[in-house]
Amino acid sequence: RGHEIEDPEFRGVHSAGMPASKRRIPVSQPGMADPHQLFDDTSSAQSRGYGAQRAAGGLGYPASSASPQAAFLADPVSNMAMAYGSSLAAHGKELVDKNIDRFIPVTKLKYYFAVDTMYVGKKLGLLVFPYLHQDWEVQYQQDTPVAPRFDVNAPDLYIPAMAFITYILVAGLALGTQDRFSPDLLGLQASSALAWLALEVLAILLSLYLVTINTDLTTIDLVAFLGYKYVGMIGGVLMGLLFGKTGYYLVLGWCCVSIFVFMIRTLRLKILAEAAAEGVPVRGARNQLRMYLTMAVAAAQPLFMYWLTFHLVR
Amino acid sequence: MAFTLYSLLQAALLCVNAIAVLHEERFLKNIGWGTDQGIGGFGEEPGIKSQLMNLIRSVRTVMRVPLIIVNSIAIVLLLLFG
Repeated sequence: RGHEIEDPEFRGVHSAGMPASKRRIPVSQPGMADPHQLFDDTSSAQSRGYGAQRAAGGLGYPASSASPQAAFLADPVSNMAMAYGSSLAAHGKELVDKNIDRFIPVTKLKYYFAVDTMYVGKKLGLLVFPYLHQDWEVQYQQDTPVAPRFDVNAPDLYIPAMAFITYILVAGLALGTQDRFSPDLLGLQASSALAWLALEVLAILLSLYLVTINTDLTTIDLVAFLGYKYVGMIGGVLMGLLFGKTGYYLVLGWCCVSIFVFMIRTLRLKILAEAAAEGVPVRGARNQLRMYLTMAVAAAQPLFMYWLTFHLVR
Repeated sequence: MAFTLYSLLQAALLCVNAIAVLHEERFLKNIGWGTDQGIGGFGEEPGIKSQLMNLIRSVRTVMRVPLIIVNSIAIVLLLLFG
């Protein structure tokens, strides 16, 4: 059966700095057997079967082969060398697994990729039509936010990553239809979009620091939210390819407004946590500054969407 | 659209260099941004100006040695590859 993912540090990331008035909805869904298990564990039965097959095959091969290599491999010294080599490899793998968490937060990243088809469908619908959605709070369970597959409001990295790659491919397609394509242009597009994303993230982090906002908005969360605009960009460019400039402007305009509303409603809960939780209109100098920041972040999205796609549609 | 990751790195290096050359006594004190002039009372809200001053001071302290290394590497690379 499944195993628990033991990551106390992961819990710490999300529970530090939470405002006291955050709603904690006890979630009892029949599908969630274990709150910390992000993925269904299907590995145990199969890997044991594969491992046994592979080991038997590997050890059986030198004995059954009639070539001189068999005699070489059956030599006890080389057997020992093989055993030593495999133990060294296992030790090295252990070391890498232990230390990889220091450089790339693998366990934290796993949370953002725990999605399923229904979540992706609902989230894409939400990105294009956020006007009817009522409840934008992320559900919590025992102080950790619920995995994206159980709550449509949770940020994920799957959609932004896939949308980014699709955007690069669609850009290549658009350039190809205008006879302007060359392979290094793809790399240039990718690098350029990544650079703008990095700049955006740095600018927002800097402004959050300067205005001393205490949110539980982590950097990865921010990257996820800023990556949602690629979905609208893809839609706009595809429509532009099919229907020319009119289609491009129509779809891009619609997606720009949707992303604007989506970002405002999502960031409002993160940045303006106390005021938004009570539902009162924002007042006071501090809250006003936060509101301006939210609106600036949301307004930058349509600008970037237009800036990164207008040169692709002629 | 030639805004690549490499140019972002270059811009970041130049910006950090710019922050590092702000001299404490000759410049920051004269415009009232010295590190001993910023600490107001123990109010709850530090305010943007004191946050900026804190940021400048911490960047200058932390990045002093790494900047030497990164600048040397950049100089060598630019000399070799133009």
